[in-house]
Amino acid sequence: MGKYLAKRVLYMFITLFLIASLTFFLMKIIPGTPFASANKLSPQQVEIMKAKYGLDKPVPVQYVTYLGKLAKGDLGISFQFNNTPVTDLMIKRLGPSAQLGFQAVFFGTIVGLLLGVFAALRQNTWVDYGATFLAVLGKSIPNFVFAGLMQYYIGVKLGLLPVLFWKGFEYTIMPTIALSMFPIAIAARFMRTEMIEVLGTDYITLAKAKGASFFEIAFKHALRNALIPLITVLGPLTISLMTGSLVIEQIFAIPGLGEQFVKAVNVNDYPVIMGTTLLFAFLFVVVILIVDILYGIIDPRIRLSGGSK
Amino acid sequence: MDRSDIKIPKDRFRPAVIDSSKSEEINKPSLNFWQDAWLRVRKNKGAIASMVIMLIVVLLAFIGPLISGKSFSEQTVSHNHLPPRVQGLENISWLPFDGTEVNRAGKEINVYEQKGIDEYYWFGTDALGRDIFTRVWKGTQISLLIAFLAATIDLIVGVSYGAISGYFGGRLDNIMQRITEVLIGIPTLVVVILMILVLDPGIISIAVALSVTGWVGMARVVRAQVLKVKEQEFVLASRTLGNSHKSIIYKHILPNLAGVIIINTMFSIPNAIFFEAFLSFIGLGLQDPQASLGTLVNEGFKVLRLHPHEMIVPAAVISILMITFNMLADGLRDALDPKMRD
Amino acid sequence: MKKSKLSLFLVLTLVFSLVLSACGGGKKESGSGSEGEGESSAKQEIKILDSSEIPTMDTSLAEGSTSFTYIANVGEGLYRLNKDHKPVPAMAEGKPKISEDKKVYTFKLRDAKWSNGDPVTADDFVYAWQRAIDPKTASPYGPYMMDGKIKGAKEITEAGAASKEYDLNTLGIKAIDDKTLEVTLEQPFVFWEDLFAFPTFYPINKKFVEEKGEKYASNAENLLYNGPFKLTKWEGTDATDWVLEKNENYWDAKNVKLEKISVNVVKDSNSAVNAFEAGETDMTGLLSSDIVPQYEGDDRMVSWLEPTVFWLKMNQQNEALKNVNIRKAIAQGFNKEDLAKSILNNGSIAANFMVPKDFVEFEGKDFREKHGDLIKYDPKAAKEAWEKGLKELGVDKLEIRYLGGDTEAAKKTDSYMKNQLEKNLPGLTVKLESVPFAVRLERDNSQNYDLQFAGWGPDYGNAISFTDLWLTGGGSNRMDYSNPKYDELIKKAQTDYATKPKENWEAQQEAERIMIQEDAGIAPVYQRGANILLNPNVKGLAIYNYGPDYAFQWVEVKGE
Repeated sequence: MGKYLAKRVLYMFITLFLIASLTFFLMKIIPGTPFASANKLSPQQVEIMKAKYGLDKPVPVQYVTYLGKLAKGDLGISFQFNNTPVTDLMIKRLGPSAQLGFQAVFFGTIVGLLLGVFAALRQNTWVDYGATFLAVLGKSIPNFVFAGLMQYYIGVKLGLLPVLFWKGFEYTIMPTIALSMFPIAIAARFMRTEMIEVLGTDYITLAKAKGASFFEIAFKHALRNALIPLITVLGPLTISLMTGSLVIEQIFAIPGLGEQFVKAVNVNDYPVIMGTTLLFAFLFVVVILIVDILYGIIDPRIRLSGGSK
Repeated sequence: MDRSDIKIPKDRFRPAVIDSSKSEEINKPSLNFWQDAWLRVRKNKGAIASMVIMLIVVLLAFIGPLISGKSFSEQTVSHNHLPPRVQGLENISWLPFDGTEVNRAGKEINVYEQKGIDEYYWFGTDALGRDIFTRVWKGTQISLLIAFLAATIDLIVGVSYGAISGYFGGRLDNIMQRITEVLIGIPTLVVVILMILVLDPGIISIAVALSVTGWVGMARVVRAQVLKVKEQEFVLASRTLGNSHKSIIYKHILPNLAGVIIINTMFSIPNAIFFEAFLSFIGLGLQDPQASLGTLVNEGFKVLRLHPHEMIVPAAVISILMITFNMLADGLRDALDPKMRD
Repeated sequence: MKKSKLSLFLVLTLVFSLVLSACGGGKKESGSGSEGEGESSAKQEIKILDSSEIPTMDTSLAEGSTSFTYIANVGEGLYRLNKDHKPVPAMAEGKPKISEDKKVYTFKLRDAKWSNGDPVTADDFVYAWQRAIDPKTASPYGPYMMDGKIKGAKEITEAGAASKEYDLNTLGIKAIDDKTLEVTLEQPFVFWEDLFAFPTFYPINKKFVEEKGEKYASNAENLLYNGPFKLTKWEGTDATDWVLEKNENYWDAKNVKLEKISVNVVKDSNSAVNAFEAGETDMTGLLSSDIVPQYEGDDRMVSWLEPTVFWLKMNQQNEALKNVNIRKAIAQGFNKEDLAKSILNNGSIAANFMVPKDFVEFEGKDFREKHGDLIKYDPKAAKEAWEKGLKELGVDKLEIRYLGGDTEAAKKTDSYMKNQLEKNLPGLTVKLESVPFAVRLERDNSQNYDLQFAGWGPDYGNAISFTDLWLTGGGSNRMDYSNPKYDELIKKAQTDYATKPKENWEAQQEAERIMIQEDAGIAPVYQRGANILLNPNVKGLAIYNYGPDYAFQWVEVKGE
C-alpha cells in the first residue's frame, strides 16, 4: 500500500508539472494583450509595463522563473487586479465554488439515485422511461436557461427564494438545484445500469425466493451493492461541477472560481488563468487518488483478491 | 384419473437412435451481432420511440431549410422580432401560431397586422429579421455536425489508442496509461476554453477542442475491454495459427468491442451538443451568421421576456435531441452490453 | 440495512429543509418589505449593483471606469466634477493664480483632512503625481494623462523605458508650502480643469503609503479617504461586495445626505434586472440593449446619450482601403438609422460624425451644431464611389476582413454590417472575425486588420480627446491615416490656439470635417445610449460622461 501510494503521488506531481508547463506555453501562444488600456499606451509605456510583469524577458527565462516561483507556491500577481497575488484571489473564491459543488453532487446524487432505482426495478416499463426522461430532461435544457427561468419565476414572481447573491443557506438553494441537473442525470443512469446488473445476480434471486419484500430487495440487497461503483464517479464529478458552475455563478452572482476564470480568460490575465487551471488539476488528481484508495477499502472483492494471492 | 392400470405393450417402445449430428443442430435461427442487438432493442419501447423522434428531427434539419423558402442569413430589419405565424393554424387561437404577442402592457397584439406584413414566418424572426424556422434547422445541422465530428475524432483516436495500449501491454501500455492520466487530470472545460482561445472559433475548432480530452474516456473503456478479450481462447487460437497483430485486432478483438464503442459514441454526441451550447453562453461560440442550437438558445435567452418564441423553439429542439440520444443510448446499452444478456 | 435507512433519511431531510427554507425565505422577504413601508422618513441608504469588481483603489494604478467611480466618491482632487458635469475647485480653495504665459498654476489648498485626521497638504499632491509617473509604478494612466501635458512627464517615461536614470523632481509639480501648490504645464491647454479633476491626479498621503508598504490599497483598512465617502467594507480587489459610508471628515460633509451605499457585483444583466424587480437593489449597472425595450416608457429606467462613438477604422495599409473612394463607399454603405433604432433599440443614435453629440459646447452651442451630419447613409452615392474606386484599383471584386468583438451585441451588429455592406456594394465580400477585446486591442496595435469595429470614449471634456486621435504617427491612429491639413489644424489647436477657445473650437470642427467628409478616414456608426434602472425615490444621482461613472454625494432618498 505504501509503495503504491508513493508511486501514485509521484505520478501526481509529474502530471501537475506537465499541466503547468502546458498552460504556460499555451499562454505564450494565446493571442491578445493583457493590458486593458492597450489602445492608450505609448510604446515606451508598454515596455515599462511588460518589465513589471516580467514579460520582457525571453520565454525560456520566463519559464524557469515561473517554475521556480511555482515550487515556492507563488503563482504571481494578477494583471487585472493590480498587484494582487493570484493565490489570495483563488483562496477567497474557492469556498463558494466548493460548497456549491458539494451541495449539487449531494442533492443530485440522491435524486438521481431514486430515479435510477425505480427505473431499474421496473425496467422497460413506462416507469423506467418516465424516470429516464426526467433525469435527462434537466440536463438537456442548457443550464443557463434553467437557472434564468428559475431565478425569474421562483425568485422574482413568487418571491420564494432570494434572487441572487451568496449570503446564507437559502441563497444556495436555487444555484444548487440548477447545478444538480447534471449529477442527477449521471447518477440516475449509473444506478439504473448497476441495479439491473445486481438484480440479475443469484443472491437477489435467492432473496426473492425466500420471499423478501420489494423494498427489502431494492434497498437492502441491490442498492447497497450498486452504490459502491458510484463512489468512483462522484469524486471527479464534484470537481468538474466546481469548474462547470461558472454559468450558475454568473447568473446568481456567486463569488466563485469559475466566474473568475472566465473573466481572466476574457482579459488575458495569464497568471490567474494558469493558477486556476493548476488548482483545478490539483483538486482533480487528488480526488481521483482518494477515490482509488477508498474504492480499495470499500469493495470487499478487491481486498480479498489482494489478500489471498 | 388413475391411469396406472393402463398397460402399454412392450413392442410400442423402441430404443432411441442417438444421432450425434443432430445434437449439434441449432434450433433457433442463427443471429449475427446486429440482428441480436435489434431483437433486444426492440423490446425497449422508449428507445424505439426515441429513435423515431430523433430521425424525424434529423430529417427536418435537412429538409426544413429547403421547404421554408427563406434563407437563414437574409436580414429584413423591418421584420425583426416577429412572433410565429403559420398558414391555416393562425385561426386556431389557442395555438401559438397566430402571429400575436403579449406586449409590455400585457395586451395581446397581432404584430403582423400592426406592421402590415403579409409573409408567414412559421417560427417567427430574430433581432435582425431572419427566419427562425430556417435558422433553427440550419442550426440543428451544425450542432449535429459538430457533435458527429467530435464523436468521430473520439472514436478514431480513442479506439486505436485504447486497442494498441491494451493489446500490446507491457511498457508501451504503461507509458500510454501515464499519458492518459495526465490528460484526465486537466479539467475538460478548462482545456476546451483554452483551445478555443488558441484556435479560431469555428465548426472544426470547436469539434477539435471538444475532442482534446474527450477521447480519453473511450480509450480507457476500450483498453479495459481489450485486456479482457485478448486473454480469451479464440484470440489465443488465432495467434497460434500465426495471424498478424493487425488481423487479430481487426478480425477478432474489435468486433467484440462494438457494443462498448457504440454506447460510448452515443453518449458523446449529446455531450458535444451540450458543451457547444455552453461555449455559446460564454461567448466562444460560432461566427455569425452561422448558428448552432447553442447560439440560438443563447440569443433567444436574452430577449426571453419580450419574445419568448426566440428561445423556446431552439431550446425545444436541443432538448428533444438530448433526450432522444440519451434514451436511445440507454436502450442500446441494455441491448449490447454483454454483461446484461439474460 | 443501516446504510439504506441513512440514505433515505438524508433524502427526506434534504427535501424538508428545502421546503422549510423556501417558506422561511418567503416570509423574510415580505417581512422586510413591510418594515420599509412602515417607516415615515426614508433611510438615507441605498443598495446598488455594479457589473464588475473594483480592479484597484490605488489612484496611480487605476485605469477603468469602475476604479475611477469609487476613487472619485471616496477621494477628491484639486477639482471635482459638480452636479452639472462642470469641473469646480474642490481641494483647491478657489481658482488658481495663472502665470502670464498660462503655463504655471499656483493653487491654494483648502483646510481639508484625511479620514485619519491628517491634513491634506501640497506634498500629498506632489507625492501622488510623482508616483503616477514613476516608471517603477508602471501606471497605465499616469503617463497617458501627463505626457505632453505636465512638464517633464514625457522625459521621465522615455528614460524609464530605456532603463536610464530619471529624476522625479523634474516633474512640473512643486509644494511651495504646506498649502500652496505650483503646477507647471508643458504647454497651455484649455481643459486643465478637467485634468485636475481626474482621479489619477488625486492626492495620496505619503506617510500612510510608506507605513503600509505593499499592503497599501489592498483593502478598506489600508486606504485613506479625503472625499465625501469612505470605504468601510472592501476586502480587496476581487471582493464582490463593498460598503461606502459618509466621511465625516470631508470638508463639505454637511451637504452630503446619503449615509451608506452597499454595492454588490452582478455581471449578468438579466440577473441584475431580476434583483431590481425583486426589490433587492435600488440601482442596476448598465443594461444590455436586449433588456431596454422591456422598460420603454417606464419611469424606473434612466436613459442618457453617452459621448462614446463607435466607428469602423479603415486600415490604410490595405491597398484597397488606401483608396478614398473605397473608403467613402464603405462609410456610406450601411443603414445606421436601422441599426440604431431597430436593432440596438436602446437609445443609441446613428453617428454621422466623430465628436459626439451632447458632449462639449462653446458659447451655448453644441459641437455638432456647425457640421451636423458629415457622412450619411447613401446607398446610391456609396455604389457610385464603390464602382469608381474599383475602377481605380483595376479590380471588380474585393474581400475585406472585418475585425469585431465577441459579445452577443457586437456579433449582432457585425452581422448586420456585413449584410448591409455586401448588399450595397456589389462585389464586396466581408470576412467577419469576432475576437475577444484583448485580442482586438493587440491586433489594433499591430495593425493586423482591414476594417475594425471600435469605439472611443473620452477621458476629459474637450473635443480634442477625439480629434487628436488621428494625427500622423499618433499613438491611437494605428490605421495609417495621414493628412497634413488635418495635422496642421490639430497641432494649431494644441499650441497657438491653446488659450484661444474660439479659434481652438473652429480648428477642431474643421479638422473633423476634413477627416470625415473629405477623407472618410473612419466610417462612423453610432453614438451609444446608456440605460440603468433606478429606484424613483433615489434623487440627485450625478451621471458623468467621462472619468467616473457616477457621483453619489448629492443623492438623497425621498420617502414614498
